[in-house]
This record gives sequence, structure tokens and C-alpha cells, in this order.
Amino acid sequence: MSKPVESLSEAELYEISVLEEKLRSCVGAKAGPFLAWDSVNRAMIRHWCEAMGDKNPVYSDPAVAAPMGAPAGAVIAPPTMMQAWTMTGFGAQHPPGSDMREQNPAMPYLKEYGYLAVVATDCEQEYMLPICEGDDINSRSTIESVSGRKTTALGVGYFVTQLTEYRNQHDEVVGTMRFRILKYTPAVPL
Amino acid sequence: MKDIKFTSVQVGDRLPELCIDITAKLITGAAIASRDYQNVHHDQDTARDLGSPNIFMNILTTNGFVGRYVTDWAGPSGILKKVSIRLGAPNYPGDAMVMSGEVVGKNDTDQSVELNVTGKNAIGDHVKGNVVVLLR
Repeated sequence: MSKPVESLSEAELYEISVLEEKLRSCVGAKAGPFLAWDSVNRAMIRHWCEAMGDKNPVYSDPAVAAPMGAPAGAVIAPPTMMQAWTMTGFGAQHPPGSDMREQNPAMPYLKEYGYLAVVATDCEQEYMLPICEGDDINSRSTIESVSGRKTTALGVGYFVTQLTEYRNQHDEVVGTMRFRILKYTPAVPL
Repeated sequence: MKDIKFTSVQVGDRLPELCIDITAKLITGAAIASRDYQNVHHDQDTARDLGSPNIFMNILTTNGFVGRYVTDWAGPSGILKKVSIRLGAPNYPGDAMVMSGEVVGKNDTDQSVELNVTGKNAIGDHVKGNVVVLLR
């Protein structure tokens, strides 16, 4: 399905219209909560900071973190790490207690219709409260929009935008994220 | 790390550039530190099967670098309030990303500073970002 729209057969056009009807039905779909495998902890923070080369002592020294809003003895996690806490990880599964349905219900449809490759294109995060060592983070997502069929440099596909809210164990919103992915058929022949 | 004071910052101020060497170790290590096991971030064969010339950096890592770049400048008392990024040219192993940034706004009410950040590699702009950080 990587052809431009003018060279598509009637059958192909019909198939696209069926897919797009399914995609439209996903807009507004909610998923979650998705729990975190681990409470916010210093080891995972350190691994992140090591890889990013981030030496900010707020993320490693409780004495520096305390005046920034951390409980006694706790460090603060890098705000940009927010998304990592509720990722599925190696096993590609959320922990027990999570919504076990598809986190992004548009994805199986796109896969079924041959859009196999995926890239993230945009991420907008806002941070309301510090995420601190010991916190238990959960997330809930809503599909905000699905684009029409787009021809991009990577190939033909659809942009799917999800809005995710992250909360801590006190049910306080710690941050939000608008995340856009392109699910596509690569322009380069496989 | 030194804290930058809100009063000493001016619109138009430029951040010192930061060059990040993009290696397979960085791409895979940071993907796994961000809990992202998508195969295109560690498996070259699958990345190629999906039309990419090599493995490439995941968006969580780019986000981490944009945040780090701004707090390296702001110092430990800088509080990130917003990091908004758009990805362009992928970061492949063997490349380098040069990050630059500029102060584009100041808000006296909450002592926040708005910055535009760019990460450029050999192909083009890997990332364009807009960041809001609170300063003391």
C-alpha cells in the first residue's frame, strides 16, 4: 500500500476507506491505567543519567534534591524520564493490575493493513510535579487524532497522536505527554 | 554545575554548543535505559528490513538529551516545565549531533525562560525542540 493515491485500483481504494473508518473509530479511545514495573528508583535513574551523560546532582544527591521538592533521603528523577516508568520493557507487557488491552488501539489495524514500520515523530511533555524516588507512576492514554493517509519521505502511512496523563500514588498528575507516531510502509522496497 | 540566575538571562542568549557522538553503544544503551526494546533501536537486520539503513536513536533518548542540554546550562536549581520536540533526520551510529540553543522568551511572573533547541547531525536537523525551564 505504498502507491500514490492516483495509481490505486478501486479495490485498493475501498480497502483504504475501510481502514480509515476503523481508524476514525479509534479517536477518543481511552486506555489505562498502565502501571510501572518498578517504583521510581535510584538504579534506573542512574542508568538513564549514565547513558545521557547527565551529571545533574538533583538526580543523584538527596541533599541537592531536597530543596527542589524531594522527600528526605530521596532523589528526583529526570523529568524527561517520565515516559520510561510505565514502559512495558523486555517482556513487552504491562505489569499485573494494568489495562491489558492494546495501549494504542489504532496500531493493530494499521499492522493488519500492512503498515508495519513505526517511528515516533513528536513528543510534547509538560511537568507539573517532581517525580521522586519511591513514587509509583501510572499512565492513562487517549487517542487524540489519526491523520489521513500521508506520503512522507519514509513512506506512506498514518500519524497517530496520543495524549497521556501520568499520575503518582497520591493520584496527583505529575505530567502529561502528547506523543505522535507515524505508522508506515517503507518507501524503500523490502 | 553552576546555577544561572533568572535576572542574568536575556532573550537572544545562546547556550554553549554540545556535541554528542552517536554510537551503537549509545543508541542501544540509552534505548534500554529508557525501557524501549523496539528492535529498530538495537537490531540492525530488522532496522534494514524495515527500510532503515541502520539502527537509530529512540525518541526518549533525544528527549533526555534535550532536557540535559538545558539543565546543564540552567544548573541544578533549574526546573523543567516543558520539553516539546519534533524529530527529523535520524541519529545513526557513526554520526555526531551538535546541540545548540537560544533563549527566546522570559516570563517575569513565574521566572520561566523559554528556549529553542536544535540538534543537528550530518544529515540535517535531528531534533527541533522548545523548552520551558524555571530559574531561581
